[in-house]
Amino acid sequence: MTKLQMIRLVAGREVRERIRSKAFRISTGVSLAFILAFAILPGLLSDDGLTTYDVGVFGAQSDALAGRLPVVASLGDNVAVEVRRLADMAEGRRLVESGDLDAAVGDDQIVVKRGLGVLLGFIVQEANRQVVGEAALSGAGVRSDVAGRVLMPQPLEVLALDPESEAESDRKGLVFFGTVLLYGQLIGFGYWVASGVVEEKASRVVEILLAKAPPGQLLAGKVIGIGVVGLVQLVLFVVIGLVTAAATGGVDLPPETLAVAAQVVGWFVLGFAFYSCLFAVGGALASRAEELQSTTTPLTFLVMGSFFAAITTGGDPSGPVAQVATFLPFSAPLVLPIRVAAGEIGLGAVLVSVAIVLVSIVGAMALAARVYAGGALHLRGQLKLRNALRSGRSRKEPVTAG
Amino acid sequence: MLELIELTKRYGDVVALDGLSMAVGPGRIHGFVGRNGAGKTTTMRIILGLASPEAGEVRWQGRPVTAADRRGFGYMPEERGLYPRMTAIDQIVYFARLSGMGRVEATAAGSAILESIGLGERSGEPVERLSLGNQQRCQLAAALVTSPELLVLDEPFSGLDPVGVDALAGVMKAQVDQGTAVVYSSHQLDLVERLSDEVTIIDAGRVVASGAVAAVRRSRGVDQLKVALEGGWTAWAQNLPGARVVGQDGDEVVLELLDGADDQAVLDAARQAGRVRSFRREAPSLTELFREVVSS
Repeated sequence: MTKLQMIRLVAGREVRERIRSKAFRISTGVSLAFILAFAILPGLLSDDGLTTYDVGVFGAQSDALAGRLPVVASLGDNVAVEVRRLADMAEGRRLVESGDLDAAVGDDQIVVKRGLGVLLGFIVQEANRQVVGEAALSGAGVRSDVAGRVLMPQPLEVLALDPESEAESDRKGLVFFGTVLLYGQLIGFGYWVASGVVEEKASRVVEILLAKAPPGQLLAGKVIGIGVVGLVQLVLFVVIGLVTAAATGGVDLPPETLAVAAQVVGWFVLGFAFYSCLFAVGGALASRAEELQSTTTPLTFLVMGSFFAAITTGGDPSGPVAQVATFLPFSAPLVLPIRVAAGEIGLGAVLVSVAIVLVSIVGAMALAARVYAGGALHLRGQLKLRNALRSGRSRKEPVTAG
Repeated sequence: MLELIELTKRYGDVVALDGLSMAVGPGRIHGFVGRNGAGKTTTMRIILGLASPEAGEVRWQGRPVTAADRRGFGYMPEERGLYPRMTAIDQIVYFARLSGMGRVEATAAGSAILESIGLGERSGEPVERLSLGNQQRCQLAAALVTSPELLVLDEPFSGLDPVGVDALAGVMKAQVDQGTAVVYSSHQLDLVERLSDEVTIIDAGRVVASGAVAAVRRSRGVDQLKVALEGGWTAWAQNLPGARVVGQDGDEVVLELLDGADDQAVLDAARQAGRVRSFRREAPSLTELFREVVSS
């Protein structure tokens, strides 16, 4: 049997057994539910960003206030006031109390339940100022059209120097979503590699396996098999999410959607190749599932730290965190898609980053193969990395004798 | 033919094997006995390539063993090893394919072996749902599925009830009849004596006795006389000229003849003391031999 046939055989078992496992089905179902929710719900729940206040008016100035409130509200972005005529203050109190109105205005008073808030406060006070001012000006003999221009001049035009386009915010949302997905796949499937390694040690299957195949091929088969499952699942998530979003119109997809999706998938391949080797080391150092927690903790922190670096990069794609994280193999897979989508990184830096990750993958593979070989037959208690490395040097050597 | 030549292995300061040599021929059952830590598991792991000796050599069919040879060996490790959530048949087929069998061939062989050990109907169940006895059978099936020329079994009888022991012994005999060489370790010396063609006793990584079971039994110590009188009377045997009492086994007195003494004189003495119900002359049992050689 050739090396390749052996690796394919081992990988094939991983694929079959993972897909059949209850854990895989449950996690796939839960992830899909989240993805569909993210793709559909924004469309259903969206209120176009418009905030509408319900304000009741009563008393002598109620006509004038009813006219002014919507006009003042229209000065703001995405704010509107719905006015309701009230018989008297008592009705206002009742409706505010029951929550039907945000405020009731009249007779120089504003009735609110707890407080007015800055925006509604400004709208009501400004409307009142205009009503009072108009009465005063008309009393002083000023013509109503002149009074109108004084009290309600043409709003100033807004000139944004660096406006955030809708497409840009859509793109940010998409990339963020992709990063979360990538993070989930890397840590989830990485952990599966670790638990797969320790499962074979805990059940002692590894002793039979090592009699049939060299440790490097066993490890390669495991990593590739689990990686293929993770990759197929990721592609499925991406396709289902995007198709659903496009079909339901729940999320606006920017033009660069496919490029972002391709990057997320591509970085999964590189990121998984790197992290899975490190997770395999975590698995090889443990001899029971209970010890996995402690042997993979440093790694979990590394992935989480990289995820936070990615979040930071999302807020500031050319900041110091983004700059450094680009060239660290741990964080590059999560940070690069964000920086590329933001257009904040040159092709040269991308290539350097990819090269660093590729070199790190080779290093991680060598480390994993050696620790796996050294730790595979260490079946009792947690193993120190140094000892595993030492005994891994002589290939299939177990650390302890039976 | 499996040959182990002068195997030496250390773990730190501990000498696990100290120039161990032995040979197992085709169609032979070879028992491998020794105290815990004597080096049995290490030897088996070296045969399978799971550990490498500092010195010495493993030879198969007259030449150094290769990885391909080892893939063809059947192996049952001491602590067993099956994927708990994988079905019995998938598991057996997987191990068969790791040994180099094609998919179709492995599937056919897997079904056949599970059928033959009585697990045919349960072959589609995850191993964790099988009883311990059935898991043990499944383990054996994994070792046998490729019809190996060499079968290495580390403590195959531990944890088996008498029915299970007989079943496993039957399977081993059947394999041997087809020309397989079997080497197995066990602490059940009466079983080893009954089952094995040859036996090797090791102590502290060294062979202390090896060869055909009967020959090994005769090779050491002196023959014993076991005599029973009606009524279970035993006091007659004290202070006999030419023999000394070394123990008692039920109603039987166990005696060792001194150099040059005649067993018939002991029989005469017994007959004078009462009615002789049984009188046997035997080589020491493997158990007795084992106690003697590992404590000396």
